Amino acid sequence: MTALRSIDVSKVFEDGFTALSGINLSVEPGEFVTLLGPSGCGKTTLLKIFAGFYAPTTGRIEQNGADVTNAPPEKRDTAMCFQSYALFPHLSVAENVEFGPKQNKVPKDDRVKRVNELLRQVDLEANRDKLPNKLSGGQQQRVALTRALAMRPSVVLFDEPLSNLDAKLREQVRREIRSLQREFGFTAIYVTHDQSEALAMSDRVVVMNGGKVEQIGDPEEVYQRPETAFVADFIGSANLLPFERVDDHTVDTPLGRFTVDDPPVADSRFLCWRPEAADYGVSEGENVVASDISERAYQGAYTDVHIAVPGAPDQRLHWPGSASSMSDRVTFRLPPDRIRFVRGELG
Amino acid sequence: MTWRRTLLIVALLTPGLGVILVMIGSVFYVAVMQSFGYYNLVGEDSFSLEHWQKVLDSKQFSRALSYSAYIAVVAAIGSVILAYPIAIWLRRPFRGSLVISALLKAPLFVPGLVASFLFLNVIAFHGIVNQLLMWIGATDAPIRLQNDRGAWGVVFLQLWKNLPFALLLLTGAVQSISDEVLDAARDLGAGSFDRFRKVIAPLTVQAMQASLIIIFIGAAGDFAFQVTAGPTNVQSMAQYMVFLKDSFGRWNQAAVVGVSLMGLALFGSLVLAVLARVVLRGGARW
Amino acid sequence: MVSLADSPTATAPKKRLRTGGTLNRILMVLLLTVVTIWLVVPFTMAVLWSLVDPETGWNYPDLLPPSLTVLRWVEVWTTTALPQAIANSYMLAPTVAVVTLLLASPTAYCFARYDFPGKGLAQVATLLPLVVPGFVLAIFFSSLIFSLGIYSRFLSILMAHCVLFLPYAIRIMTVSFGQVRQDLIDAARDLGASPFAVFRAAYMPALLPGILASLIIVFIQSIEEFAIAFIVGAPNFTTIPSILYSYLGYNFIRPNAAVVSLILVVPNVLLMLGLERLLKSANPAQMGGKG
Repeated sequence: MTALRSIDVSKVFEDGFTALSGINLSVEPGEFVTLLGPSGCGKTTLLKIFAGFYAPTTGRIEQNGADVTNAPPEKRDTAMCFQSYALFPHLSVAENVEFGPKQNKVPKDDRVKRVNELLRQVDLEANRDKLPNKLSGGQQQRVALTRALAMRPSVVLFDEPLSNLDAKLREQVRREIRSLQREFGFTAIYVTHDQSEALAMSDRVVVMNGGKVEQIGDPEEVYQRPETAFVADFIGSANLLPFERVDDHTVDTPLGRFTVDDPPVADSRFLCWRPEAADYGVSEGENVVASDISERAYQGAYTDVHIAVPGAPDQRLHWPGSASSMSDRVTFRLPPDRIRFVRGELG
Repeated sequence: MTWRRTLLIVALLTPGLGVILVMIGSVFYVAVMQSFGYYNLVGEDSFSLEHWQKVLDSKQFSRALSYSAYIAVVAAIGSVILAYPIAIWLRRPFRGSLVISALLKAPLFVPGLVASFLFLNVIAFHGIVNQLLMWIGATDAPIRLQNDRGAWGVVFLQLWKNLPFALLLLTGAVQSISDEVLDAARDLGAGSFDRFRKVIAPLTVQAMQASLIIIFIGAAGDFAFQVTAGPTNVQSMAQYMVFLKDSFGRWNQAAVVGVSLMGLALFGSLVLAVLARVVLRGGARW
Repeated sequence: MVSLADSPTATAPKKRLRTGGTLNRILMVLLLTVVTIWLVVPFTMAVLWSLVDPETGWNYPDLLPPSLTVLRWVEVWTTTALPQAIANSYMLAPTVAVVTLLLASPTAYCFARYDFPGKGLAQVATLLPLVVPGFVLAIFFSSLIFSLGIYSRFLSILMAHCVLFLPYAIRIMTVSFGQVRQDLIDAARDLGASPFAVFRAAYMPALLPGILASLIIVFIQSIEEFAIAFIVGAPNFTTIPSILYSYLGYNFIRPNAAVVSLILVVPNVLLMLGLERLLKSANPAQMGGKG
């Protein structure tokens, strides 16, 4: 049985803005699913529909097989972690955590025990009587998560929970969230626009754009085998080339003729390869490209090299060595198994 | 802090804060001293409790005191109770919300006497309200609404004038609560009443206290509404004070009433403010 | 304290404007009905009463006056002390507005730009005039000026009004001085501006809306103020509210009261609308920078 499911959900706001159209998504119990996309892609709207804050314009929401489309948030077995944490500023840490169980009429003894246990687990015992504004951002984030967990929800919904933290802290909290999720076994739906966060945390990533789902897959799938130009471009960086099909395993591009493993299909629009996919210095055999370098930028672990080929702007590759060891020309080979074909338009 | 800086700050504060303190202080001083028999316009100054005794013994005074307290409590609590739902409704802007809030706040800018007059026209013996009541058959003869014994006219005027004020303060406070905090409360299982009781009310308690205090003080010291629309069988404190001063120049007794009125204003507003906090925050932490 | 304009409700671009659902529409209609009763009916009746023809009157059961005329206006104007009262009020109020602004500005400057021990207490203390009941203030202020031997009614009311309305002016000007940006002051000085030029470049743009708001608000309050004008001014110095009171009190003349009410309230409403405009219009000092 699926933990949470959206069936053909769409959302049109009253001002006519279509935020979502035709969203079908099933989330398994205990799964960690990320909704990834740029701002305005509808990911937060979908999350709020799962939480019950918005009613979908069409379609249904099911939780554990039961239709909850019209259940208000206060009646749903979901708990949300808000972007701004949304802690009650007039209540102490412990009172914030106790709020949900109190609303759900959990007996006092149970409630206190539950709150104490949780606060110990997330290492907030010392701060239990402080008001939220006395805590650091990371601590506030932890209180928000604890408050959601105190509901013992089967699904926890995260709305860009790390966006207000600095980079170092972000990574630490990210690991904490993931380990708590494994420990408690709740189902997580996690909204973010940060692709590295999505790749690092998720069991599955749902890439969204313009109110539609572009691709659903595990992190490796969406990175290594993007299906659309948008996904290829949004996750990591990608080189996209127009192509002409010669036969099932041969295509012509501005960079030359390539042999490929997976054949292009009818709606394939671009050939796609990742900047780090190239074998450098190989100058013999099939799929070899030699080109002038137009620009280079030293990045520490690699050098970002742009090559200039007529008809193929913005092609770049990651040269593993340092910038000074390079000449003005680069030769590399694209392995046939690392070439993909994607559909869709360039963003 | 250097003495030059201190001097500068004192010099800057003198024309504003200084003038306020001196003036309000001396008015207060004169009132208190006059109530004890000093600062007489005619006759000798001497300390005496006679004026207090006379006033406190009079039935008129105790009636005026309880009447003013009653009006003030009803005005303060009534305005806040009516203003809260409207403030919450106007929290998020929607089409027409600005117009509505502007219209609701309009009475703020209508002087008290004009408000009385407008109101008197509407509820006059042959006024529009009575005509309407007779037309729909609710009553056979016009009802006496002006200067009624239950002081409903005064209460209505107080609410008319003070509701916008409470609305102004409460709208600001309610709007400063973030959407996410209210969403969080919903998500954690709080229905609309619980959201009000456990989140909105505690977070707006200061604005509510400010409304209660200011409205209470204004209504307790009311003169204009009472004189024009109030019951004739009882006087408000301010009315009684003016009456004492005007009839035979009983300044000392007027001073007693004035000091009592200040006492009522201070005491009553503090009680309301504390009460609001205790009720809304459960008295637990604050 | 009261902020006069609605605090701007910031809505993030993500959130969408809530437009009327059915419930909202019903509430709107309901409220508009209430507001009609609340405002339109009373004001219409006041206008009608001020135009009642004394010949025919307006008697039960006529729903509207049988004939309308401006005779009342002419009569009130020519036979009562109204012109004098208007002159008094409109001489007093601007003077009060200017003097109050001048008295308030140093204190406001101090609150906005200096920190000192007891500042919070001092700011609360400026609210004192608002919490003393008006008639108590009026009566014992008149008692005080008798003992001090001040006999000019104009001067007495001027003094009392200034104190009474200082809290508004101080509050507004404190906010305004707080909006003066230090980087602009520094930049002006860095560019070699004289103190006057610094004032014009850095202070004036931020202060101007506050100065106007303070003048208008104190002006309106002074025109409307009844307790002090009545107690201290009576019987020689009449203002518009005192005249209105005389028609409302023991000898109730409805059409005259209607005329005076309108004379009192209409200019104030117009001024308030102007003020609203003023506060809404973009304030150049608030733009850019951290804002």
